[in-house]
Order: sequence, then C-alpha cells, then structure tokens
Amino acid sequence: MEKAVKIEDKKYPKSLKEIGREAPKKLYYKGEWKEEIFENCLAVVGSRHLTGYGKKITEQLVTEIAASGITIVSGFMYGGDEAAHSATVRIGGKTIAVMPCGIDMIHPEYQEKLYYEILENKGLIISELEGKFSPVNWTYARRNRIVAGLSKAILVVEAGLNSGTLITAKYAKKYGRKIFAVPGQITSDVSKGTIKLIKEGAFVVTEASDILKYYNVSPANLSNSESQAKQSSILSKEEKTIIEQLKREPMEADLLSRTLGISAAKVGTTLSLMQLKGFINQESGKYYVN
Amino acid sequence: MLIKVPSVVNLGLETIKVDVEVNLANRGLPGFEIVGLPDKAVDESKERVRAAISSSGVDFPAKKITVNLAPADIQKEGSLYDLPIAVGILSSVLQFPIPEKSLFLGELSFDGSLRHTKGALLMALFAKEFGFSNLFVPKDSANEAGVVKGVKVFPVENLIQIAGYFLKKRNIEPVVYQKILSGLPSSAEFDMREVLGQEQAKRAMEIAAAGGHNIIMVGSPGSGKTMLARALPGILPPLNETESLEVTKIYSVAGSIPPGGSLITERQFRAPHHSASLVGLVGGGAKPHPGEISLAHRGVLFLDEFNEFPHNVMEAMRQPLEDGYLTISRSKQRVIYPADFMLVASANPCPCGYLNHPKKNCVCTQNQIKKYQKRISGPILDRIDLHIAILPVDTAEFSDNQKNSELLESSKIIKQRVVLAKEKQEERFIKDSIQSNAQMKNSHIKKYCKLTKDIEGILRTASLKFQLSARSYMKTIKVARTIADLDGAEEITISHMAEALQYKPKIYDTV
Repeated sequence: MEKAVKIEDKKYPKSLKEIGREAPKKLYYKGEWKEEIFENCLAVVGSRHLTGYGKKITEQLVTEIAASGITIVSGFMYGGDEAAHSATVRIGGKTIAVMPCGIDMIHPEYQEKLYYEILENKGLIISELEGKFSPVNWTYARRNRIVAGLSKAILVVEAGLNSGTLITAKYAKKYGRKIFAVPGQITSDVSKGTIKLIKEGAFVVTEASDILKYYNVSPANLSNSESQAKQSSILSKEEKTIIEQLKREPMEADLLSRTLGISAAKVGTTLSLMQLKGFINQESGKYYVN
Repeated sequence: MLIKVPSVVNLGLETIKVDVEVNLANRGLPGFEIVGLPDKAVDESKERVRAAISSSGVDFPAKKITVNLAPADIQKEGSLYDLPIAVGILSSVLQFPIPEKSLFLGELSFDGSLRHTKGALLMALFAKEFGFSNLFVPKDSANEAGVVKGVKVFPVENLIQIAGYFLKKRNIEPVVYQKILSGLPSSAEFDMREVLGQEQAKRAMEIAAAGGHNIIMVGSPGSGKTMLARALPGILPPLNETESLEVTKIYSVAGSIPPGGSLITERQFRAPHHSASLVGLVGGGAKPHPGEISLAHRGVLFLDEFNEFPHNVMEAMRQPLEDGYLTISRSKQRVIYPADFMLVASANPCPCGYLNHPKKNCVCTQNQIKKYQKRISGPILDRIDLHIAILPVDTAEFSDNQKNSELLESSKIIKQRVVLAKEKQEERFIKDSIQSNAQMKNSHIKKYCKLTKDIEGILRTASLKFQLSARSYMKTIKVARTIADLDGAEEITISHMAEALQYKPKIYDTV
C-alpha cells in the first residue's frame, strides 16, 4: 500500500509547511514516518562531480554532525548527495533522501544498496511524485525546494556556478534558511559556486562545531585521538617526509617521487605500507593523510 | 617421361612433404595441366613457369605436360611450387637428374628469376627433421632457411643458374648462417628518457617487461600512454634461441619476413588499430592464417583505446591470454598457432577522457562512465597483472628544468636490469615449461614464491582492505616475484610485496 502524508495531516513536517504556497500537497514516503526525524534537519548538498577534497570534507563533517543526532537531508544524487547519505548511514545516523522521481523508483538505480541502507537506519525516502514517475529536468529542481524546506540550515560543500546545488541554496535563501559553505580552492570549478555563496554572506564552515553551535547541539564524543596516537608511533624518515608533504597538499605518487627525489619504486612501497597501516588513503589517483 | 621433384605444403605451422610429379607425354595435344587440389595461385603457376622457361632461353616443350601434387587430397596454396615445376620440366628438356634428398620452393618471375617466398624456414626445419640435406630456395629467402643447422641451403637467383648447377657447369655456394649478434639498434620509437614524469608508470613498464606481465594504463588523452607503450620495445629483453625460432616460424608462415631477412631476435611490437577484424586480430579465415596475437608471440600486443575494441574481439583473446596458444578449427583442418604475448592496453577513464584530470573537468555522468568502463569485461581485466593510472604531466614544470631530463634513466640502463631479471627467471624455470613469472601457475607460485608469515599477513590485510579477488591475490605475488628479481633478491621481501600492491586493479575495478 502506498504511504503518504497530506499537508492537512498533523504529521506533516512543520518546517516544510512554513514555505507556504510552494509546500507539496502530498508527500509519499518509504520507511517509518516519525515526527522526531524532522526536528533538527540539515541539508547537505554538493556537486555531482565532487572532488576528492569535497568527498573527504563531506564525510568528515557529516560524520560528526550526524553522530550528534542531526538528520541529514539530501537528494540521493551521485556525488555530493551520495557522500552525505552514505557517511550518515555508516555511523548509523538518520537521513532523509528526497527523490526526484516517483516514490516507487530508485534513481540512480545503481545506488540501490544505499537506498536500503538508509531505510535500515530508520531513515526516510520521500517524494512528492507518485508511483513510477520518471525523473526529468524539472523534477530535480523542484525536488531541491523540499530539501531546503525540510531543513533549518543547508551546508554546501562544493558547487559549480549554474548548478542544482545553487538552486537548493537559492530556495534556502528564499525560505530564510541559514546557509553554510565550505571554502575550496578558488581555481576549482566546483568551488566557484560556494565562493559565490560566501561572497553573498554564507557562513564559512571549517569544522563541524560551526554548524552544531547553530543547532545548539553538543558534539558527540568521537574518539579522534586514535589517529593522533597512530601518528606518533614510530615512522621511518621517508614516511615522515611523505606525510608532511601530503598534509600540505594531496599528491599522486609521481609528483611525490619527483618532489622528494625518491625513486618511484621506493615511493610506491612506502605508500602501500602506510596505506595498509591506515595513515594515508587514496582517492582518484591522489594520496592524502587520513 | 616422369620426373619427381619434392617440395612441401605448410598447414599452419605443420609441414607435409609434397611430391611434384611432372609428366611430359609425347602423345596427345600440347598442353599444361596441374592436378592435386591446387588453388588459384598454384594454378596460375602454369603461366609463370611457361614465361620463365622461355625467357631463360629454353624452348618450352611442345608436349602434353601434366603436373600432379601428391598427396592429392590436401589443398595446396601459394606460389611456392613454381620452382619445383620448372625444375621438373627443365630436367626433362635438358636431361639432368634431380639430386636426391633435396627440397624445392620458390616463386618465379616472368624473367626466370626467383622471388622471395614465404615458408622457407618451415621447410628447412622439416628438412632437418626428415633427413633432407639440400634445399633450393630463392636467394632472398635463403637467409631465413639458413638458420637451420645441418641443412645445405642453396640460394637460387634464377632458372639459368640452377640448371647450370645441375648440369655441373656452374656452382652455387650454400649459405652459411652467421649468428646475428645482439646489440642491434632497438626498434623503439622513443627512449624512456624522453618520457617526462610518469615515474610510476615507467617503473611498471620495467616490471612488465621483466616478468612478461600484462599491463593496462588508464589515463586522460595526451597523458603519455601511447608514448610509454611505444618506448617499451627499447627495454624488452632479447629473444633466446628457442623463442627466436618460434617467432620466426610464425612470421615465415605469415610471409612477414622481408626479403633477405633471417632469424627474428627482437621481441615484436604489434599495435593493431581498434577497427581490426576478429580474424585479423586472433587469426583464422577459410585457410587459417596467423593473426596479430600470434605475430605478437613472445612479444608485445599493444591495444590502444582498449575499450573501443569490439566485444567479440576482446573476448576472443581470453583463451590465448590464458593458454598462450590459439586453436583454429575449420571443417577440413585444425591449426594451432602459438600466441603467448604480453598485452599492453591503454584506455581512457571515461567517454570525455578527463575524469580525475587536474585541470579539465569531466562532463560525463556516472552512468556514462560506468557504461564506458564496463566495455572491458571482468574476465579480461582479471588477466591483467599491472594496473596503472596515468595522470597528465605539467609540461611547464619540465621545460624550465632541463637538467631533470638529463638525470632520467635511459632505456639502455633499464634494459640491463630487465635482462638480468629475465636471466634469473630462465634459470629458475629451467625444469618447467614456462619462461617468465607471468606464466606461473599456482603450483609454480607455491614452489618459487615462498612467503614469510609477515608478508602473508600484509597480503591478507591488503586483500581485505582493497577487496582483492583470489586471482588478484595470486597476481600480486607474481608481480612481487618479478620485483624481487629486478632487485636481484632470492626471496620476496615485505617491500617487494608492498610495491606490487601499488599495481593492483584501480579505476576499472570500481564498476
């Protein structure tokens, strides 16, 4: 049986009602509808072409924020949305995915696994579209108003100019939601949108507490000291120089070998071992410190 | 009058003796007929022989000439029977005997001279095996046949010369094979020194060359994939004697040895375009012909833009990649061509090519990327030992630092290491039927790649962390063995294994 909540219903999220005429008349959903889930919502949105940096930041911020009990709302697209949802389910947090298609569809299909993980973690899948309504250009943009409407604030990690992410930000502004933006390199195309937002008065986020303060929530106790302890364990000279270099800027193996003047074979060996020990990680060809 | 001139027929790499029986009958209308399943090229031989004999100053006999190619039930093809037929006719006209234990092969030109003909090496090998001591072949093919020791190869220039020899008026000096010393200029288009940056890729190339590992390079257009591949021949170890003969045999059958050419001592580099047909690439046809993969035997098969190759072509390479040979079955015959090659593939990461590019933006959707990467099937990727991501190099970084390129290692230096590693492998596998680390089966790995507890631990952690398949697990060990060989080490150490893990499946295994 189709599950839906109408705008007249008591269960209908208050924040969404606030947006007035634009509020969807009927919300279809999958999962268990509990009103608490809508209490403290943060929309996390980012580019479809998330960079390694964007992905890392999203994971880092979302992990801490979701662990503090805040619901992460996003649009289930690949890239930024996917990073936000999966970081949340990984720590067992609550997340709401607002679909751009009918409630009976999973789009994009290949994120099916994530779809069920969201439901398993007591999250919600919602859509204003019924049945097997195919996603088309305008449904993506319309979907974004629900993402913005459900949340008290939105966090933009990476966004290009002229992107769906900026559309969400536009709605957020319209509805008087607070906008947080993560600064990136000014040369990167997917930072141009966030920098524009910052110029227009968005709040700069560098750590999770920037956002948690706004929600008046105390940060969860995640043991971050573990990685610190690992750092101090005995590292060889090469490992130390490589880590220092990677802290400054994520790099590929070739560049490391060139900058440090160590042979590619030796760099490869050291990188593999450090990766296995969990000091560093690799994302789209580049290595970075965990 | 009946004359028998022995020659051969090549079926794939197999050689069978053919008796060219020439009968000149005094009765009946003058004519010239060939029987014994000749194909078009053999049948046209009549015209060539007639013209060649006339231009040699001998009157073509006005008799009823019938030529039989026995055994009569095997299809004969090619132009190699020109010489035996002409010698048969001449021997009748000029009254000379055909020497015993001799084989003839060669295509005639209208002026009576002989042209380079394919298959000379196979005939020489056959001659040695079955006790034929004299070979008469065109001069241009003599060096090819002369490779086989214990057989006298007579280089024949034209019909007048060979008739003169049989009439004992002239002499033909048999060719003496001289071992071509190594140190020939390499056929590589680039020196590894010319490739700027790409340190890890170069190292991977070195490992691939040393152990005969298959390698795939994934990177944006213009990042240097093709250049790296073209520089590869410069660091390949030379062929040893057995390998050399194997390769030359295939080239001899394919008719790919140039006139005057001899033993192929260098590993061959084949780079077919992705529009190549299935038959062109893997071999086959109504009369099975070796394909590119066989021509790349013991050498390199470079497939640029790997995922542009048609699916059926790619999948057809699976068996040869695993077994090192290809069986072509036809209704009338079955031919086995060796195809033990090193696959070097290059591919773009996505349709637009700029995924993970530091400067340009990729405009592909996730779906397009997945679809594109899926074109290379899992079973093929699974047979590739080294996976490397090639990132574009900032050329500006190098132009103002010319000194850097002076310090880069040249192909010659890398080759020295590769050759030493290859020698180590040959020594190791002396009792096994394999030549290189890449060919190791699980039993060999157990025998030659003893891992300590520590190394096994690392490998196990890695296979959990990187989700390596069972086959990838074994491949990593093989690569580590080659790295150890390059290092001159007897046993695999932790650092060898750690480096091997760098070349684990990367981008393309995410699909």
